[in-house]
Amino acid sequence: MSETKAEVIKGVKIDKILVSVLQRRFKSITQEMSHAITRTTRSPILCEAKDFVTGLYDGAGKMLEQTENLPILSFSLGPVCEYIVSYFGDEIYPGDVIIHNDVFSLGNQNNDVAIYKPIFVNDKLVAWAACKGHQADIGGAVAGGYNPDATEVWQEALRIPPVKIYEKGKMRRDVWDMIFANIRLDIVRADITAQIGSCTLAERRMMDLIEKYGLEVYETHKEYLYNSTEAMMKAEIKTIPNGVYEGESTVYYDGKNVGSTYQIRVKITVEDENITFDFSKTDAQTPAFVNGTFTSSASAVMLTFLQMVNPDIPHNDGMPRPVKMIIPEGTIINAAFPAATTFGNHLCPQIADAIIRALAPSIPERVTAGWNHLLCGNVTGIDPRKGTPYVDILFLGMKGGSGGTHGFDGYDHIGMIDASGGVLAQDYEMFELQDPHLLIRHEYLSDSAGAGQWRGGLGVETEFAIKGENIKCVIFGDGDVEPAFGLYGGREGSLNRIEMRYPDGKVHVPRSKELVPDVPKGTIWFQHAGGGGGYGEPFLRPAEKVLADVKNGVVSVENARKHYGVVIDEKTGAVDDKATAELRKKR
Amino acid sequence: MKYKIGIDVGGTFTDFLLAFPDGTSKIYKVLSTPDDPSIGLLNGLSEMGSDLGISLEQFLDQVETIVHGTTVTTNAVLTYNGAKTGLLTTAGLRDALEMRRGIREEQYNNRYTNVVPLVPRYLRQPVEERIDYQGDVVESLNPESVEEAVDLFEKEGVESVAICFMNSFANKEHEKRVADIVSKKMPDSYLSVSSNLLPSIRFYDRVSSTVLNSYVGPVLRRYLQSLVAKLKDNNFKGTLLIMQSNGGIVAPEVATDEAAVTLLSGPAAGPVAGVSYTSINGFDDCITVDMGGTSFDAALIKNKTPLVTTEGDINRLRLALPMLDIVTIGAGGGSIGWIDEGGLLRMGPQSAGSQPGPACYDRGGELPTCTDADLILGYLDADYFAGGRMKLNFERAKQAIKTHVADKLNYDVVEAAAGMYNVINVNMASGVREVSVKRGDDPRDFPLVLAGGAGPNHACMIAHELEIPVLIVPKESSIFCAAGMLMSDLKHDFVRTYSATLSQLKKDTFLNYFREMENEGKECLLSEGIPEKRIKNIYALEMRYVKQYHEVNVEVTQEEVYDFNLDEIARQFHRKHNLLYGYSLEEEGTPIELLNIRLTSIGDTEKPAFMEEVFDGEDPSKAFKRHREAYLPAEKKFAELPVFDGFGLKHGNRIAGPAIIEQVNTTTFVTSEYALLVDRYGSFMLFLKDREEEFARRIFK
Repeated sequence: MSETKAEVIKGVKIDKILVSVLQRRFKSITQEMSHAITRTTRSPILCEAKDFVTGLYDGAGKMLEQTENLPILSFSLGPVCEYIVSYFGDEIYPGDVIIHNDVFSLGNQNNDVAIYKPIFVNDKLVAWAACKGHQADIGGAVAGGYNPDATEVWQEALRIPPVKIYEKGKMRRDVWDMIFANIRLDIVRADITAQIGSCTLAERRMMDLIEKYGLEVYETHKEYLYNSTEAMMKAEIKTIPNGVYEGESTVYYDGKNVGSTYQIRVKITVEDENITFDFSKTDAQTPAFVNGTFTSSASAVMLTFLQMVNPDIPHNDGMPRPVKMIIPEGTIINAAFPAATTFGNHLCPQIADAIIRALAPSIPERVTAGWNHLLCGNVTGIDPRKGTPYVDILFLGMKGGSGGTHGFDGYDHIGMIDASGGVLAQDYEMFELQDPHLLIRHEYLSDSAGAGQWRGGLGVETEFAIKGENIKCVIFGDGDVEPAFGLYGGREGSLNRIEMRYPDGKVHVPRSKELVPDVPKGTIWFQHAGGGGGYGEPFLRPAEKVLADVKNGVVSVENARKHYGVVIDEKTGAVDDKATAELRKKR
Repeated sequence: MKYKIGIDVGGTFTDFLLAFPDGTSKIYKVLSTPDDPSIGLLNGLSEMGSDLGISLEQFLDQVETIVHGTTVTTNAVLTYNGAKTGLLTTAGLRDALEMRRGIREEQYNNRYTNVVPLVPRYLRQPVEERIDYQGDVVESLNPESVEEAVDLFEKEGVESVAICFMNSFANKEHEKRVADIVSKKMPDSYLSVSSNLLPSIRFYDRVSSTVLNSYVGPVLRRYLQSLVAKLKDNNFKGTLLIMQSNGGIVAPEVATDEAAVTLLSGPAAGPVAGVSYTSINGFDDCITVDMGGTSFDAALIKNKTPLVTTEGDINRLRLALPMLDIVTIGAGGGSIGWIDEGGLLRMGPQSAGSQPGPACYDRGGELPTCTDADLILGYLDADYFAGGRMKLNFERAKQAIKTHVADKLNYDVVEAAAGMYNVINVNMASGVREVSVKRGDDPRDFPLVLAGGAGPNHACMIAHELEIPVLIVPKESSIFCAAGMLMSDLKHDFVRTYSATLSQLKKDTFLNYFREMENEGKECLLSEGIPEKRIKNIYALEMRYVKQYHEVNVEVTQEEVYDFNLDEIARQFHRKHNLLYGYSLEEEGTPIELLNIRLTSIGDTEKPAFMEEVFDGEDPSKAFKRHREAYLPAEKKFAELPVFDGFGLKHGNRIAGPAIIEQVNTTTFVTSEYALLVDRYGSFMLFLKDREEEFARRIFK
């Protein structure tokens, strides 16, 4: 904690140890919420992959702390909470539960449905518990929510602006039934119930906590916490040289016009303790569903930047204060009403690339080379073993490598930067229990990592048989045209690819956004998630590290020679020092 | 047969508590011998014999029970010194072990690297076979693929093999057949089979736990075989029991087959001991910390129950067997002080261990350690270390600190030593934070139980850093875990899968499973020498709402089981689900599904009694030894402090800090902020002076 801050706030003496205790207590409450959701939900997207976030907010809706399994969802919870406070005004009561997903009132994605529960102490609204999870279905034209053919929000999902589903502790059965009458799967109802449970849990914990220390102490100590976090963030920004930095990246294919591309352009201004991300020169929105919302894009900026500063900064209202964002409406990353936007979360990799490219010259040792972009599938159908519908996002297949950085290789099989390793691949046995699929292969992909003094993270090869019926697959993502980029002499990673190998021998290679209906039972899903970009000249990588990768079968003998200048004697399996020295001298 | 002995082998010292039949006990402590820990262990036993005026053989002849905690497996994992291990796993899925489902624990830290797997990829060999989720064979086992892999293992000098196939929890057949092939071809290898070790769903949990077991198995086997042989050679006829990570004890044969159950064997007795020492003073909760020569272990206890987890990790590797929730950091008396690249003073995690040990041990160690700093600052007496049996070399300590710390910082030796003392205290305080603040518990609400030879010297400083008002230094603090081992019960966990909704359950089947497990437990415990009347069982059911994928563990009574009282069981499930997760579906009438039934058989051991002392009054002057110069950290200067003989202090004696209390194996430094009172069991209670009255009233009521 900073020593320079005032020791007394509103007449209350600040107990610095208590500030740390409260900060960690908030964090542990959000972790407990996260645990509860994992343990009680039915959709594998939630209980296996953890595609959800939890958080606590103060009475005004300002962030107290979060558990961000998937950060791209998480910096939308706070803004919506503030919106709800102003929307309902003085009509918020103990026992209320509010549901929300609407992307045109600060939601980030239609499928990401949030629950908010106000917390009262002595009749005063003192905090909010909230959580948001990716639901197995949210109505709209296509089961599972991803509709590459959508051009307007109503073709994608049921819009839920803030609505009370409980008021003063009583369920509003009419509203509840109206919502679930528009959603295909029963498990969504059960999973929303589980989300409400986790908020009730947080409510109990917060009431105990505030009762223990007193309301005044809570109110003043959280202010101190915000201020000290703000100071930490400012100190971090100050370590970046002042200047204006520009970067850009390309989005390939909008889902409608084959061959279309869009540019994301950022201008970053660092001025002492403040930083501004200005996306004004970014291309206009697309006519299809490849569009971002303000909060999904702001989350993307925040999670990318947080990887360039001290990772121990607490996540509360003080953290984003020195960070300004200009994301004009009408651009591809903040589409105007009533655009389709389901793809918006997945513009995160491109936003991250633009920011990394912009800041690399000023803080070369704090950026990574490019991360593998997401390419993913969402499967819906009938599980013939149970005779019931099922939905799953194929997290298992999509986790490519991250970019290398100064001093460190990229992380293997981490997946999209949107989650940065917070979302998990399904456990293999749970995958086969929950989905009518038989896993054939899930292993590191040889030669996928971009070569470098510090190589990129490895990508992954996945293959499984689909044994469900009435199967529809929606492909969404990118990274099949442009691979993860290398930095400072590092090479690029490998490309993404999906193949659907039908039982009749035909092979379908879907585009990066495509709805594939009528997938026959017995189809083999085959996927490469690419590796991350390398950092630094590969010829500088110690030969024994290259040899270890060769011995483990993740770099081939040819590529050891071609990219790293390391000659390996295939008979002995040892490095040929002399030939290696000669080859490396040539560079 | 009359003696019981608790033995805790640490990185630096091996601790013993010898319990006599009359309820008294005696502490022993010898240097550990890491290359073969059984040597140090035998040294200690010999010493006990000679103190009684008899030979080792005569002494061991009279020893009834030895309970033993060991860190051999833990150290093997932390230092990557386990057996060279090969993994046989379903073809196409060999990277699950290393992938860890793709988690990066620190999402915003791009310098956070994945943990190095215990089996490198080239030794993770594919076997052609496949079983589906229901246990049906999809692809029959190809023995040739096994033979090839085993050939490679032999060529590579693999000593230990782990077998983990997809869905083997539902059908063990392939694993069993491959185990037979491996046993035939590599008869000397250690073998772990996932469906035996952990027959439950979740591939990553199983493969990781099985590999951990194989990695440490040969290390434990070698150690225990040699120990058992040595004890037998020296006439030991009693029972040897091994401490498990779950806080219970077990026979060495069981421990050898399931070596992974000992991964927290050393520290697991700490929380058990902590409960004993605090509950007799009326506390239900506490934080226990144990500072030995090499490591510092902290655990938080609520309601007299140490937390158990089956989702634990060791060094970020999943271990899905039940273990106590303990945080370990590299800080101890042997922690080495050094200057980092940025010119900052650091302490540890490297430790001088017992060989060569701190510079002042004069055994060839040249690097300055925490113990050296303690000596320079006057907290340790060069002539009274280990009761005077080991003379410390003041000059060597001074030289080491001067060369490696003071000169580099341009400080004098005392300033440097004070800095080292301060840094290690802050490190340990952060270990306490880890188990309390980080989980949202306020450390000030918990009495801090200080243990380990080096702990009490640092106790007040750690507590003061965290503003903890009350500390307990148990009488047996220097050998805390060894004492805890004698307070532990035998413990065997059993599980049966019986998957059905409650309304479908058949009473006979249900009861038969429990009876089976009761019999197994009874058999096991009887063979371990526990009489039937000291056996008790804990019954639990793992249940969930239909279509959920995780269960809630509900403890039920024997009566509820045998009355087949499903209504009451359902009520308890709803209640616990609500308590844990904020809601229940009782009103909706959602059916409840049973998945596993569990039984823990506990053999209640005869524990050494706590002897109550008579009240001796406040005056400690009988125990006063002399004055000695020691450094006061808050005042930043040396002062003449009174030194007391810890063994001479009696119930009721009060000492206001600053003062030093010496015992053979430990020194308690009471800083100016604290006062000390001796409780009725001879333990030291320390309180912040301004809150003394409140606590003294509570304890001396």
